[in-house]
Amino acid sequence: MGRYILHRLLRWFPTVVLILLTIYALVFFGAGDPIKLIFLRAPGDVAYDVERVEAIREEAGLNEPFLVQFGNYMWNIMHGNFGNSLVSGRSVNSMLAAAVPVTFQIGLTAIFLLTIFGTLLGVIAALNHNRWLDNLIVGFALITWGVPVFVAGPLVVVVLVLGLGMDVPYGWYGLFNPMVITPLVILSLAPMSLIIRQARAGVLEVLSEDYIRTARSKGLPRRTVVLRHILRPVLTPVVSQVGLLIIATLNNSILIERVFGLPGLGRLTETAIKDSDYPVILAIVFIFSTVVMVSNLLVDISYPLLDPRAAAKKEGDE
Amino acid sequence: MKKILAISLMMLVLFGSLFAGGAQEAAGEQEMVLNIAHPVLQQNWSPLQGGGHAARWQSLMWAAPMYFDADGVLTPYVLSSAEPNDDYTVWTLKVNPDAVFSDGSKITAADIKGTWDLSARPATKHGRIDLFIGGVEGFNDVLVGKAEKITGIVVKDESTLEVTLTGADPIFDQKIATALIAPVKIALAEDATGKEVQEWWTPAKGVVVSGPFMPESMDLDQGILTLVPNPNFFGPKPKLDKIVITTVSDASTATLMLKTGKMDAHTELITPTIIQDLGAGFLNGPPLAKGQQFWIDAHKPPMDDINVRKALIMAVNTEEMGLAAYPDGPFAPATQLLYKVPGVDPDFEPYRYDPEAAKAALAASKYKDARLLPKIMFVGISTPTHEAAAQYIAEQWRQVLGIEGVEMKPAIETYAGPDQKSVQIFRDDTGTRVPDAVSYLMGTIHSQSGNARNKLGGYENAEVDRLLEEASTKGVKDPARIELAQQAQNIFRDEYLYIPYYNDVMSKWAMPWVKNFDKNDDWQVIEPWNVEIDESLRP
Amino acid sequence: MIKKQKHSNSSQDEQQYNLYKDAYTRLVANKLAVVGMIVLFLVFFVAIFGPYITPYDFLDQDLMARNQPPSMKHWFGTDDLGRDILSRVIYGARTAFIVAVSVTFLSLMIGIVLGSLGAYIGGKVDTFVVWLIDVFMSIPSLLLVIVINVSLKPRLVNWMDMQFLATQNEFYRNTILADFVLVFGSLALIKWPKAARIIRGQILSVKKKNYVLAAKALGVPSSRIVKKYVIPNSIGPIIVYISASLGEAMVFESAFSFLGVGVRPPIPSWGNMISDGLRVWQLYPHILAAPALVLAIVTIAYSFLGDGLNDALNPRQWK
Repeated sequence: MGRYILHRLLRWFPTVVLILLTIYALVFFGAGDPIKLIFLRAPGDVAYDVERVEAIREEAGLNEPFLVQFGNYMWNIMHGNFGNSLVSGRSVNSMLAAAVPVTFQIGLTAIFLLTIFGTLLGVIAALNHNRWLDNLIVGFALITWGVPVFVAGPLVVVVLVLGLGMDVPYGWYGLFNPMVITPLVILSLAPMSLIIRQARAGVLEVLSEDYIRTARSKGLPRRTVVLRHILRPVLTPVVSQVGLLIIATLNNSILIERVFGLPGLGRLTETAIKDSDYPVILAIVFIFSTVVMVSNLLVDISYPLLDPRAAAKKEGDE
Repeated sequence: MKKILAISLMMLVLFGSLFAGGAQEAAGEQEMVLNIAHPVLQQNWSPLQGGGHAARWQSLMWAAPMYFDADGVLTPYVLSSAEPNDDYTVWTLKVNPDAVFSDGSKITAADIKGTWDLSARPATKHGRIDLFIGGVEGFNDVLVGKAEKITGIVVKDESTLEVTLTGADPIFDQKIATALIAPVKIALAEDATGKEVQEWWTPAKGVVVSGPFMPESMDLDQGILTLVPNPNFFGPKPKLDKIVITTVSDASTATLMLKTGKMDAHTELITPTIIQDLGAGFLNGPPLAKGQQFWIDAHKPPMDDINVRKALIMAVNTEEMGLAAYPDGPFAPATQLLYKVPGVDPDFEPYRYDPEAAKAALAASKYKDARLLPKIMFVGISTPTHEAAAQYIAEQWRQVLGIEGVEMKPAIETYAGPDQKSVQIFRDDTGTRVPDAVSYLMGTIHSQSGNARNKLGGYENAEVDRLLEEASTKGVKDPARIELAQQAQNIFRDEYLYIPYYNDVMSKWAMPWVKNFDKNDDWQVIEPWNVEIDESLRP
Repeated sequence: MIKKQKHSNSSQDEQQYNLYKDAYTRLVANKLAVVGMIVLFLVFFVAIFGPYITPYDFLDQDLMARNQPPSMKHWFGTDDLGRDILSRVIYGARTAFIVAVSVTFLSLMIGIVLGSLGAYIGGKVDTFVVWLIDVFMSIPSLLLVIVINVSLKPRLVNWMDMQFLATQNEFYRNTILADFVLVFGSLALIKWPKAARIIRGQILSVKKKNYVLAAKALGVPSSRIVKKYVIPNSIGPIIVYISASLGEAMVFESAFSFLGVGVRPPIPSWGNMISDGLRVWQLYPHILAAPALVLAIVTIAYSFLGDGLNDALNPRQWK
């Protein structure tokens, strides 16, 4: 296992470099550099003077060959310096220092909350199989699954503000401020639905196992049966989803940070790609990719740990 | 088990509702605060950008050399006077002796020259510097990085600047009456290598400003700026106690905030239902010397055939397009290029909506039939209004002429300058910041204008150029100035190079309880010190 | 020994047949799954035949009847250009299905090729394939799609224009095609790793099974091994993957349209209709409600079906 982890960690570096190279190439040979775009997108009275734009680009070092520029970026990144935004001139490190905590705090809290509540609700539903509570929970889960997060966001905001007279949930005031509840909930709804259904399916399956019947016929109280025998196997599929959840949450952050005014990575991503701001794009891709790789690794490690049967099966996979 | 769960759920709901209830913010009761919603995450608030959304609020913090007041009268500000010599080639600018920065230091002629030199250099990326001082001797060398200082601007003494132009320009004083070239304290803004000091315009770096308000704090990551009155402002004392600019990138959220009174104004908001949501007064305003048109690049097939252009133009009904794009106003469908400036031609013959003539023109062209036409591409379709208009046009072309291959794109992306490969139609606005027909057309149809070079794909008509150049040397009161301009406009009309769209208004973009928020053709609030809020009108 | 092998061969076949029969029985016993299937067939039917039976052309603008709420004349109302929403939703079903089916097919093809190459050949090739899967799974999907669209679209469009000017072939003037190609391509690039993993995992586990080793020892040709053991064993997870992927692709496509990188107007896709509807839903809720509801119903139907299939095919396994 230790060797496996080491192996994966060693693969991280070339993987990240390849990803960065790909994305950089796409932007470089595609949309081009931000200087051109600034002048192209400006309203009609701003002249696109080729000579002037060239002078500006030359000055910013954007006329160097592709690999030279990429090499510079990588060299700086390895020294922990993500450079300066080509559009605003601000240091990317400081932009990230402000944006990363926001997205991470919200994302991790959401995942934490939705895993717990999702599992709880799934277990309750399974224990009340086919009765009204089960149907209610499953129905709720399905509805939240069907509505995409970018539809739910604005709808809920308007209902809350115009219907309930609440303050518009906008802006970031820290994780422990009530304003954060609405975006947290919206972010959690769809993934929680998945957890509910998985936990429920897991419990239902385990309930029919022999050893459960044995435990119950032994006269063990229901609670003990649940906690001791059911939760562990249920946690397995749930935990295996956490990796995917982290990725999904990162993606969703791009969709909802705009609506709720959260100054996180998602909002930065949208702007950076639109403006073709190389240093910011590369920094964001670097962070996202690393997070995704780490969560994939965690999932791959935890799966066999939680379920020895899966560990044996895993031998066949790897 | 179930009981425990049920209780926990109930606690959660109660807990949550407590928070929801307590989420009301306490508003400042005594303070008069103006809350502005800003649509773009702006990380750069340098006054030397010369454009972008931040520049719309330039007049709040920075005093222009001169400005046009609500009646269109040129008013001294940082400069007390701007006098030309007899042939309008040398201008003497005198600095207002009362003009000071927020730290009390005087605004000197050296500051003005330093600001304009710095703005012209490549690294500063000032978007419009050439529009204002482009005619100054030695400007071009600085623009392309060959020189550091503009030779035509000379500091005569602490309060006198002498500017030499490359040609006669009777309206130079009008051109520099803009907040986009407001003088800054050059010692703070410029570093030893002649570049802008990073983030010199933030309070953290000790910025000093010249306008009625100064920044108290700038949170660039969240996009929240707080402005307070400048104690040393050399104009009238501002009525507001505070201005807060908050970034709200989502248009529906911003609309909601404006409706509920959490925000008072917006930098630039346009949604399909803005009139129903916020009232006609929000979007309305005085006419602006600006027109939106769909410009046709005659160098790209199929636009190289004038009959195709005629067909495309005559198949469009501008009024109907207005119904599709801005059904509740406040814009006016455009006909000629000139608008609002003295010199609008009353005898101009607009393009007719004539489907039969359009079909005939297409049949007479070298393509004969719609199926042989290459795909037509629209660029600049960036707002719901423009989308509606473009889709209307595409549908008209399909029905009248049978054209099927039309594509629309929002931004201009990689269609760079003259080497764009396939876009034939650009939606863009042209206009002028000064009340002058010649300057309007110089920026629109003169071969050196950005519009002609880029949107029209390198349009060049020697007669148009000659007429406009001659007109620009005529004095402001000389009737020949307007006559020559109108002639140029007519020549351009006959080349069928644009689909008229609409003429703009200088939208107020503020709720009814915000008073004295008038803006001029420079897009600036004319008198920020007079802005006040009538709390009784707020919901 | 040989006799036993033959015997187990045929009972293997029988077992397979019974397995699927059981699965099918379980599936149709699952009421929700059946509902899901019916809904999806309905939508599929509408997607194919719908555009021929819509009352209005989805492009037809009626500027006098803009933003009308549902009425007898327009069952779902009209949008801001006076176009019939019902017709646009129906055409949107076609867009959704084309995207979902193509993306699933593409990603499955890539996944099958790479997954089986890696699993079958093993060694360095397998290491490379596993690494490739890792790389693609590490790129944040939304980001990749946005970047691809922003960067490659202008290039692709330019290329097509050059081709049209050179060949005068109408095919190159079809802008919609470029849109679709980019959407499919980006989505397939995101999804193929999952398919590849499943295929590879299945092949590897089958490879280890005793009857396969025995068959190989006996000199049974590889093609027969593949036909008799590998394929039947893999079909289960593949079917589950297909149903999940179809649903996912549709939701992804709507998210992209929302961000402005998907199918462009005036071609209706539920995604761009939702995006338009979101802007005006307080005044004209029907413009948002129609596509959003349809998308929700279809997504839920897919998840019913997916759950049902999973239960039916893997009664004792987790996802």
